[in-house]
Amino acid sequence: MEMFRSNTVWYIICQPPTACGYSTGQLRFRGVSQMPVAEGKSVQQTVELLTRKLEVLGAEKQGTFCVDCETYHTAASTLGSQGQAGKLMYVMHNSEYPLSCFALFENGPCLTADTNFDVLMVKLKGFFQSAKASKIETRGTRYQYCDFLVKVGTVTMGPSARGISVEVEYGPCVVASDCWSLLLEFLQSFLGSHTPGAPAVFGNRHDTVYGPADTMVQYMELFNKIRKQPQVPVAGIR
Amino acid sequence: MEAPPVTMMPVTGGTINMMEYLLQGSVLDHSLESLIHRLRGLCDNMEPETFLDHEIVFLLKGQQASPFVLRARRSMDRTGAPWHLRYLGQPEMGDKNRHALVRNCVDIATSENLTDFLMEMGFRMDHEFVTKGHLFRKGIMKITVYKIFRILVPGNTDSTEALSLSYLVELSVVAPAGQDMVSDDMRNFAEQLKPLVHLEKIDPKRLM
Amino acid sequence: MQREEKQLEASLDALLSQAADLKNSLGSFIYKLENEYDRLTWPSVLDSFALLSGQLNTLNKVLKHEKTPLFRNQVIIPLVLSPDRDEDLMRQTEGRVPVFSHEVVPDHLRTKPDPEVEEQEKQLTTDAARIGADAAQKQIQNLNKMCSNLLEKISKEERESESGGLRSNKQTFNPADTNALVAAVAFGKGLSNWRPSGSSGPGQPGQPGAGTILAGTSGLQQVQMAGTPSQQQPMLSGVQMAQAGQPGKMPSGIKTNIKSASMHPYQRTLD
Repeated sequence: MEMFRSNTVWYIICQPPTACGYSTGQLRFRGVSQMPVAEGKSVQQTVELLTRKLEVLGAEKQGTFCVDCETYHTAASTLGSQGQAGKLMYVMHNSEYPLSCFALFENGPCLTADTNFDVLMVKLKGFFQSAKASKIETRGTRYQYCDFLVKVGTVTMGPSARGISVEVEYGPCVVASDCWSLLLEFLQSFLGSHTPGAPAVFGNRHDTVYGPADTMVQYMELFNKIRKQPQVPVAGIR
Repeated sequence: MEAPPVTMMPVTGGTINMMEYLLQGSVLDHSLESLIHRLRGLCDNMEPETFLDHEIVFLLKGQQASPFVLRARRSMDRTGAPWHLRYLGQPEMGDKNRHALVRNCVDIATSENLTDFLMEMGFRMDHEFVTKGHLFRKGIMKITVYKIFRILVPGNTDSTEALSLSYLVELSVVAPAGQDMVSDDMRNFAEQLKPLVHLEKIDPKRLM
Repeated sequence: MQREEKQLEASLDALLSQAADLKNSLGSFIYKLENEYDRLTWPSVLDSFALLSGQLNTLNKVLKHEKTPLFRNQVIIPLVLSPDRDEDLMRQTEGRVPVFSHEVVPDHLRTKPDPEVEEQEKQLTTDAARIGADAAQKQIQNLNKMCSNLLEKISKEERESESGGLRSNKQTFNPADTNALVAAVAFGKGLSNWRPSGSSGPGQPGQPGAGTILAGTSGLQQVQMAGTPSQQQPMLSGVQMAQAGQPGKMPSGIKTNIKSASMHPYQRTLD
């Protein structure tokens, strides 16, 4: 199993296009703040705007990244004996941790495992069925700016682009509450007024050591949010 | 089942069909030392390794007749080692010429919240036990000699009692499917442990 | 050409190290036999044999390995023979061969047996060919029959004699234990979380309050986890009397356990 870096904190924000297909909009963290909408921009154009801003700041491109998520639900046959509503299980991968696989339940534990977990899910076909249509992923470029690592990605579900994800990582710090304000300042520098509020995902765990599982939880919530939003009927998507 | 957590086993990501070849036997407590001596002579020269593991077996019941079994194992003497999740398929019993028990196996290293996660998936704990013993290697073969302890109070690994006056001896290889020469090599090695231990292919279904 | 030379060198090195290991084990075995013969036990001798057998196996494997070139195709020719002491040779052979002379060479570089031995072998092969297939078959069958008769006689003697009785104490494994352990590991026989009171573990059936006895003696049974060698505390010191006559036998309580553990998911028939 690969060793996870234990010296980083990640925050994720997302700017999904609203019904008219523009860029700005709600902020990811559950600390939501509504933004005024801009007209006529597609997902791709917004991503380009952001990346250009980053390059102007002085960030260097450093390859690409990809985070994907598949959804499984307990098969009907198992439900009867358990007498509980089917739960949704998410199996995610993150290119930052190529040897790992993350499995989580909403509001439940997040398991970090190695890639053989995918093989196990194949064996569990009879008990957990994959909802193929809801596979969602985000792909984009990584930018390094001093101690910050920024990942701007396009969130796609199938062939259609559904939103944008922005992840910012601050390398030297491990505890969320220690560096939140610094991160906020940095975000303001290239997101301007789209900067999110404090991340509620760490609610009562401000002082604990941050880990990769926390990142995946944030992505899961982001993907869920995007899934629920209506699809953007704009020409020139992707 | 017989392995300490993944620190001992190669992680083979990507191959879907890994098979475990297995031969089992036992040795009485008073003959353990002779067996260990012999194994030290025959096996690869490494530091004598002992292990102390706690294994919990989980079942997921569905409409199928047989429940899905997963084994979660953690090391009690190595802090920081990942938990080891293992799936073992049904043994393929058809071939009389094959000298070892063959079954599909999937090994996964996981973080420490494995038990909570399995419960969330719907698995229920069936039984648990503690194993304590020695580990040897010869090439790709792994030989474990260990004692099984029953846990008297569920969840409390301090109060245990030995299941019998013998140690279980297992010779196993995890290899991709289709490599039957592996069982020949295993049989040759097993010959060298006679008459101290008789390692043979034991069909667990016969013992139900 | 380069590759073959490298292969040759590599396989020679492997052979050398294997042969050195073998020589060492043989040496220690001989030492043991010569100096400790009064204290030597059969298991110890068996151990040495097993070690030698293992090393011979590895040696064979190295020879059979596909990367090993055919040594048969290599020829060794002595270039210089001299009756003087050769220090280098002494060092390389650890003092065994001091001189590379006319006496030493025929023995060390020999590839065929002695002429007399060769003659005898040839004689035997022609004799054998002369017999004819049928007669040969009959002789083989006779030999096999005699061998099996002899084996039977020996095993019968062993069973009936006193020494047979003595030897069973030296049994190193118990098949019933093997089955019990394999069953425990395979599907938790005897380990079920749900334990019926009274008939659990090594408690004897019919003992009143066996459950409480078990609880009370679990303090005795707490096995020291750290650094215990093969010594295990007796399972239940109080119940030793029933087990003393059968060392290594599985306590019958286990079977009772299964009978009443009807909740076990794997069970189809209660036996």
